[in-house]
Amino acid sequence: MKKINKIGVLTLVLAMILSVLLSGCSQESKPSTNEQASKPATEEKIKVAFVYVGPVGDFGYTYAQDQGRKYLESQMKNVETTFVENVPETADAERVFTDLAQKGNKIIIGTSYGYMDYMVNVSKKFPDVVFEHCSGYKTTDNLGTYFNRDYQARYLTGMVAGKYTKSNVLGFLAPFGTPEVIRNIDAFTLGAQSINPKVQVKVVWTNSWNDPATEKTAANSLIDAGADVLAMHVDSPTFAQTAQDRGVLAVGHDSDMSKFAPNSILVGDVSNWGPYFVQVVKEVMDKTWKPTQYFGGIKDGGIIDITPFSDKVDKDFQATVNAKKQDIMNGKFDPFSGPIYDQSGTLKVKDGDKAPDDVLLSINWFVKGVSGSIPKS
Amino acid sequence: MNLKLLGNWEIKKTNSSSALKKFGISLTSIVLGLIFAGLFVLLTGKDPLKLYSEILQSSVGSAYGLSETLVEMIPLALCSLGVSLAFRMQLWNIGAEGQFYMGAFGATYFALFFSNLPILVMLPLMLVASFICGGLWALIPAIPKAYWNVNETISSLLLNYVAYFWIAYLVYGPWKDPKGNNFPLTKQFPDSATIPVFGNTRISYAIFLLLIIAIAMFFLIKYSKWGYEIRVSGSSRKAADYAGMSYVKNVLKVMFLSGAISGIAGMAEVSGVLHRLQQTISPGYGYTAILIALLARLNPISILLASFLMGGLLVGGFSLQTSGFPSSMVSMFQGSILFFVLAGEIFNNYRLVRKKA
Amino acid sequence: MIEMRKIIKEFPGILANDQVSFNVNSGEIHALLGENGAGKSTLMSVLTGLYRPDGGDIYIEGKKTEFSSPKDAVNYGIGMVHQHFKLVQPFTVAENVMLSIKDLKQIYNLKEIEQQIIKQSEAFGLSIDPKAKIWQLSVGEQQRVEIIKLLLLGARVLILDEPTAVLTPQEANALYETLLKMVKNGKSVILISHKMNEVLENTDRITVLRDGKSIGTVHTKNTNEKELAKMMVGRNISDVVEKKSHRKNDKVLSLNNVSALGNNGLLKLKNISIDIYDGEILGVAGVDGNGQKELADTVAGLRMVKQGSVSFCGKDCTKSGRKKRIDLGISYVPEDRMTTGLVTDLNAYENMALKSYRKNHGAFIRWDKVRSDTDRLIQKFDVRLASTANPVKMMSGGNIQKLLLAREIDSDPKLIIAVYPMRGLDIGATDYVRRLLIEQSEKGKAVLLISEDLEDLLSMTDRIIVMHGGEIMGVVNPSETSREEIGLMMAGKRKVDLHES
Ligand SMILES: Nc1ncnc2c1ncn2[C@@H]1O[C@H](COP(=O)(O)OP(=O)(O)OP(=O)(O)O)[C@@H](O)[C@H]1O
Ligand SMILES: [Mg+2]
Repeated sequence: MKKINKIGVLTLVLAMILSVLLSGCSQESKPSTNEQASKPATEEKIKVAFVYVGPVGDFGYTYAQDQGRKYLESQMKNVETTFVENVPETADAERVFTDLAQKGNKIIIGTSYGYMDYMVNVSKKFPDVVFEHCSGYKTTDNLGTYFNRDYQARYLTGMVAGKYTKSNVLGFLAPFGTPEVIRNIDAFTLGAQSINPKVQVKVVWTNSWNDPATEKTAANSLIDAGADVLAMHVDSPTFAQTAQDRGVLAVGHDSDMSKFAPNSILVGDVSNWGPYFVQVVKEVMDKTWKPTQYFGGIKDGGIIDITPFSDKVDKDFQATVNAKKQDIMNGKFDPFSGPIYDQSGTLKVKDGDKAPDDVLLSINWFVKGVSGSIPKS
Repeated sequence: MNLKLLGNWEIKKTNSSSALKKFGISLTSIVLGLIFAGLFVLLTGKDPLKLYSEILQSSVGSAYGLSETLVEMIPLALCSLGVSLAFRMQLWNIGAEGQFYMGAFGATYFALFFSNLPILVMLPLMLVASFICGGLWALIPAIPKAYWNVNETISSLLLNYVAYFWIAYLVYGPWKDPKGNNFPLTKQFPDSATIPVFGNTRISYAIFLLLIIAIAMFFLIKYSKWGYEIRVSGSSRKAADYAGMSYVKNVLKVMFLSGAISGIAGMAEVSGVLHRLQQTISPGYGYTAILIALLARLNPISILLASFLMGGLLVGGFSLQTSGFPSSMVSMFQGSILFFVLAGEIFNNYRLVRKKA
Repeated sequence: MIEMRKIIKEFPGILANDQVSFNVNSGEIHALLGENGAGKSTLMSVLTGLYRPDGGDIYIEGKKTEFSSPKDAVNYGIGMVHQHFKLVQPFTVAENVMLSIKDLKQIYNLKEIEQQIIKQSEAFGLSIDPKAKIWQLSVGEQQRVEIIKLLLLGARVLILDEPTAVLTPQEANALYETLLKMVKNGKSVILISHKMNEVLENTDRITVLRDGKSIGTVHTKNTNEKELAKMMVGRNISDVVEKKSHRKNDKVLSLNNVSALGNNGLLKLKNISIDIYDGEILGVAGVDGNGQKELADTVAGLRMVKQGSVSFCGKDCTKSGRKKRIDLGISYVPEDRMTTGLVTDLNAYENMALKSYRKNHGAFIRWDKVRSDTDRLIQKFDVRLASTANPVKMMSGGNIQKLLLAREIDSDPKLIIAVYPMRGLDIGATDYVRRLLIEQSEKGKAVLLISEDLEDLLSMTDRIIVMHGGEIMGVVNPSETSREEIGLMMAGKRKVDLHES
């Protein structure tokens, strides 16, 4: 044993020396490859990097963000993008952001809430790099946030769900009790109630953004509890497949999910981040970029919208929903218009009022008609 | 035993593995592992040389990369020292991941609820708490093992999930930061509960703890009475009984210490790097630690080096993606190296000889 | 029929076979004699393809042959029964046989195999039930299974490494009858043994190895014990040791109505009462498995007493465990050297620390002292090994035993329990151990000697207790008893009954 170990040590030492040597070689060769790469390009390309919490193939949240990245590349010739997927919200994240900044990326976009503190740290170390963080609330001199008024589309898809439920029970799969999720559930419920006052929304927590196995179980339990239209705020389209298997309806989220369950999906909300990314890049190039807390809605170039309706939604009702969308766009209507009561019956938004943004961004109560409770601190 | 091979070469069992030969074999194994993984990279149409240099560049090729490799090395090496102690006694503690989480739990308790303590009281208190929590967690599978010979492999593994969900319960529930917008995180630790770091790196002073533990472990195993008992018990329980060593007591003691060291790793991570407790605090350190322990043949000093190697691979992993390689490639690299090192073990006992004509 | 010419086999630091030439004719039983570590097992491992020689050639029927695996050797009709059997315990005899011949793609049918087993066992007097499970069989029966396996594989040359070391005298006799039948059928047998009388009675020729070299081959009928011993050791071996009684009147150990359970939970010791005195060698006779090992374990403190009491030097120690009893001065040479008495993965000096490591104060072991002690003992007890830094499993069987004895005696105990201490030892070493134990009794130490060799018991002990079925059948005085009387008691007759009739 004793002998073997000494040898193990020696080996590893040598391996490490070797690795340092090799890295030295690669360092030497690096400048030359860079020169080659930069010579033919007449104009310096601006490098934009994206950090995703899930895989780009999740066909949900991360997929939608990545569609935005692709849109950015297609729209702007002198932009070069990279992405890093499956980055956990652990110590690893800070390293990924640092690494990307060191590799010469001028704009770095982090798409998950849990990156917040790491992005704050890294942004301070790289003052020349612009950071954009989706769904967070902390900003620095070079870290801005962006998000969309997903609740507007939610209200519209809620209307469709309310119209097509027979049992008057809608099911909702929710990951965590964050303001974003609660806001969506509330808007969805309000939309459904506007069509069908008897409707009730049952919430089940999956405690994960992306856990298809749990999502399937949760979807089944909602269907067993009587829900005949399902909605969700997680990252994968699993619930729609379960809905189709069980012969119930569903509304999608984040991207067009009709291809996963054509018989079930009625409509869905869709996030369209591309135009915002283009805007950020342009601002950075023009040197007009400022760290803001961007919160775009339906009227802002479709950063949030609904998908085309399925054939199951009758034309007249489609018109009703589209009219509501128009009202939201030109400011005639807001989903969080009073009177709104919470679950206990307390009046939260008075008749004639609208819930202001700061309430929406930190909302922590369900509206009346939601059954289920928010995990409390 | 002689195995037939093609041509006039054959594999022959040897009892004489010279130091030099073993050294060469371990080195060759790692290189072969890299080459083998490289072939797969080639199959996907990518340039493996670019990939190697990318990993090296990002893990040891820059001051930042090196510092991050050391950041990864701390939890890996601590957990690995923990499991290696149990492995010495043939106790297959694969619960380092759970013990890591429980250590983090113990440390966080003091950080959250005694936040007014001065740093010189707070940090030792957190250390002791993580030590005890990790140790007690390992004691759970140790007791049935010691008294009724219930296999500890499965029970220690299953407890990983229990620990994970216990932390989940806390950060979703009672320990959630009231001002954290309902995200499953505790509030940030006060400065007094944060292990200082070197300059503007993320390497915390926990690295001293690591070095002390590694050196202490080396002397414990090699020169101490208890280390000797562990080695004897690991080789033959009957011999341990015969020599009047208490097997039961040693199982309990070894498992406790094994878990306690992984517990310290958990404290080092929450207090030194993350500065808060959250649902996921480890990308599987406790499992990678097992590979490291085996790779290092349980030698504490080798564990430091192997952890450095693995840490470098982890660090290199994410930058691979920015160069257009899929993230799974790093897992493949790790697997490939491990496979060849284990295969190399066989060549320590066999050698290739040319048949006499 | 088989000829090995100038075989060389080197291990690091030792030339285990140094130009050994050796031949076997068909129809003969050829014995391989030599001291522990002389290179017998190594030579046979070369012949069976387990080791590749570093030099020399093997000729079969005059043709030069090379084996690259034991399977190769089996194909040439050479098979070996190792000291540790390679049988699958929960399987039946037939299933075990099938496992080994399946490779050769000859027979697959279990029924057929059972018939073959019965046929072979009838032909060679190897009575065995093909449907019995291995764990139900005695050691001797398991050995028969190994032999049948080789016969069915078509072996014409059978090699047996110390086959009778683990057998009762009756089983050993049966084995030799079988071997005789086999050579009559034209097969050959190579036999490694340390039991001179067996070799002289049953073999045709004898080859003696010493220090890896072949000393010569002799016809059994032309030689005698003295000559062989001289060939083996290179000097004359003095005759049987003279034993005088050194028994004093101080009781060292007494067991009062002690009962204890065996590993399987059944009562293995029933109401045992014995006293051992200072300077006494107390022998325990009995057929293997009649409670002797449990008795040794109980005295050593490795087995809890279920009923009764144990006292040592007048003090009760019924409840004290092994550690306490080591401190009291009870040394133990267990039957199972390789996994109990020694840790074969550790090296020689690490093994020497097994009992003394607690001695000095503090948390650390004084390895420098252990090392110098080990070197001293290796010198004193003439333990031959390549290096004290090698794992003990690389040492030859006899030297392993010497190392163990050296440690147990050196701790200056009051009582030495020795279980089958001479098993597997060469004549020189056997003689040495005998003297050693007698010497200890002269120094006033008590010895509890458990042995299957009645000669040893009769010549060395002060008293002999005979065990059967976990009970004591009686206590006899070596000078007043006979082998017959002990034999009857071993078979379950009580001494009182013997004398009444
Ligand atoms: N695998 C091995 N590695 C190193 N040395 C070995 C090995 N096998 C045997 N030896 C050494 O070779 C010598 C001969 O050993 P071998 O086992 O052939 O002796 P033997 O005649 O069978 O002795 P015994 O009667 O004690 O069994 C011994 O000194 C032993 O220590
Ligand atoms: Mg031998």
